[in-house]
Amino acid sequence: MTIAHRAQMTAAAAPRGQLLLPARQFGTLIGLVALCAVLWILTPHFLTVSNLLNVAEQTSINAIVAVGMTFVILSGGIDLSVGSLVALAGVVLGTGLQSGQPLPLALALALAAGLACGLGNGALISWGGLPPFIVTLGTMSIARGAALLFTEGRPISGFDESFRVLATGRAGFVPAPVVAMAVVYAAAHFVLSRTTFGRYVYAIGGNEEATRLSGVPVRFHKTIIYGVSGLMSATAAVILTARLNSAQPIAGMMYELDAIAATVIGGTSLMGGDGNLGGTLVGALIMGVLRNGLNLLGVSSFLQQIVIGGVIIVAVLLDTVLKRKNRT
Amino acid sequence: MKRACLLVGMTLAIACNRGPATTSTTGKPTVALVLKTLNHPFFVDMRRGAQEAADRLGVTLQVQAAEREIDVEKQMQIVENLIQTGVQALCITPSGSREIVSALVKAKDAGVPIIVVDTRVDAKAAADAGVRTETFVGSDNYEGGRLAGDFLVKVTGGKAHVGILEGIPGHETGDSRLRGFRDAVKSAPGITIVASQPANWERDQGFNVFQNMLQAHQDIDSVFACSDLMALGAIEAIAAAGRRGKIKVVGFDALDDAKKAIAAGTMEASVAQFPAEMGRAAVESAVKVMRGEKLPPDINVKLDLVTRDNVK
Repeated sequence: MTIAHRAQMTAAAAPRGQLLLPARQFGTLIGLVALCAVLWILTPHFLTVSNLLNVAEQTSINAIVAVGMTFVILSGGIDLSVGSLVALAGVVLGTGLQSGQPLPLALALALAAGLACGLGNGALISWGGLPPFIVTLGTMSIARGAALLFTEGRPISGFDESFRVLATGRAGFVPAPVVAMAVVYAAAHFVLSRTTFGRYVYAIGGNEEATRLSGVPVRFHKTIIYGVSGLMSATAAVILTARLNSAQPIAGMMYELDAIAATVIGGTSLMGGDGNLGGTLVGALIMGVLRNGLNLLGVSSFLQQIVIGGVIIVAVLLDTVLKRKNRT
Repeated sequence: MKRACLLVGMTLAIACNRGPATTSTTGKPTVALVLKTLNHPFFVDMRRGAQEAADRLGVTLQVQAAEREIDVEKQMQIVENLIQTGVQALCITPSGSREIVSALVKAKDAGVPIIVVDTRVDAKAAADAGVRTETFVGSDNYEGGRLAGDFLVKVTGGKAHVGILEGIPGHETGDSRLRGFRDAVKSAPGITIVASQPANWERDQGFNVFQNMLQAHQDIDSVFACSDLMALGAIEAIAAAGRRGKIKVVGFDALDDAKKAIAAGTMEASVAQFPAEMGRAAVESAVKVMRGEKLPPDINVKLDLVTRDNVK
């Protein structure tokens, strides 16, 4: 969590040179550290190098989907289609690989499919003037149906080792999905904090009308934002498919809720315009650590759901309290 | 503040040196049982049988399940996490016959013996990945499908228009039951399968899918559902269509609700599996493996057909 977080402001004013996490994200980070400390006390199996890498690997898929979700939520929108897009892009990838296409082409096709669906979402929202909730609810169903239709409901399994290395490989001792997660976060953080497009994401979420009036092509940028989300879903699909050695049309169900949870636990405001990717990463890690820890402790899976739901609410509550303090 | 963070991080890193223990806190060996889900009576029964065996044999049983039956990725995470706790044996009902192999590879690498329960692992995928499973504990689903098919041939006198409710496509369990059923009714030329669609193991989908089938095929007079939950859904759809008593329903699993329906006459029969027996056999096998005993490649758990004549 040493990534620099500076761009939580709107385009109007982002203070330069502030390299620490803003106070509100600190709350989340403290929550993560506290959670780890509690688990460390409760079980000797938690704080081992192999388990921490295990958690990071398990978190990577949700964390990557949540990058796209953060872009969308920062801009004041929502994307419910991410889980279905994971399935659709995975199926495209699986079909490509199985039909003997070279790996780079199959990857490109899958990423293109995710991107195209995301751009479609964005275009309908910005030019069609439809609410994001409705559009992405529709594409959630369309993409899921397309994935099922395409495969006749059956998973596509059994891929070459050259592809599976994307999930099973290690750079030194770091699993490949964790490397992918780090690269995605670094790139997305750069885009969000150092580019004009990134500024516009915050500006659109802060005040869309004002942004439009100041001459920013809002519709174009909103379309791109949903494109980013689709692309992130497809990236997650690549890892998921390699990890399971299978592309399932029923994969990714409820991923949208996990991604939204990671984003809001990470302190991004559902109203848009406020938040950052560092927070989202911490949010995704909290969810991953929690699931892992509860497994290690042998907690009943029913109780796990209650605990995770509770943590989402407590995290956001704490965050809100901190924000209020921060203002006064 | 950054320094504070670093400090915390370092403390945690030092703490990492606490080595992983290999036994549970009570000193008893631990066997893990990873189920598809716990929101299905079948698996609840399996857990009960497993727990009884674990208590009797003096091992600690760790039971975990994904929230949803079809969530292979979550099941894989559970396996990875349990490996971290140093379990001595893993009993698993795979959510996906091929997908689970990636998780089993990790168990193999950690030296944890694997006992497969209820749903088989895809043999080729396992062989390709170099995974060796100790044994398979389960009922022969193909045989169960045949039992159901033979029964339907008998009660309809070899003449029927059958609608089939399938499980999730690509699931070995449902596919085998379906194959068994189809093979059995092949012997009776008077039986035609007019529709066969997945209802994904669920009661509400069984209701909807069968309602649609009834719309499309007025002539349906029998149903085979690959699980009782779907069969129970179909029974509701039959009642809603006002055709109670005119359509024969055969299910699979012999759930309590299904037995009640058989006693009440709204359902003809259900193939009974004995999940508690599977749970018991799984834990017993795990203990044997830990003692270094050899196991047969298959441990067959009996099947039975519950009909109006023998329903309790």
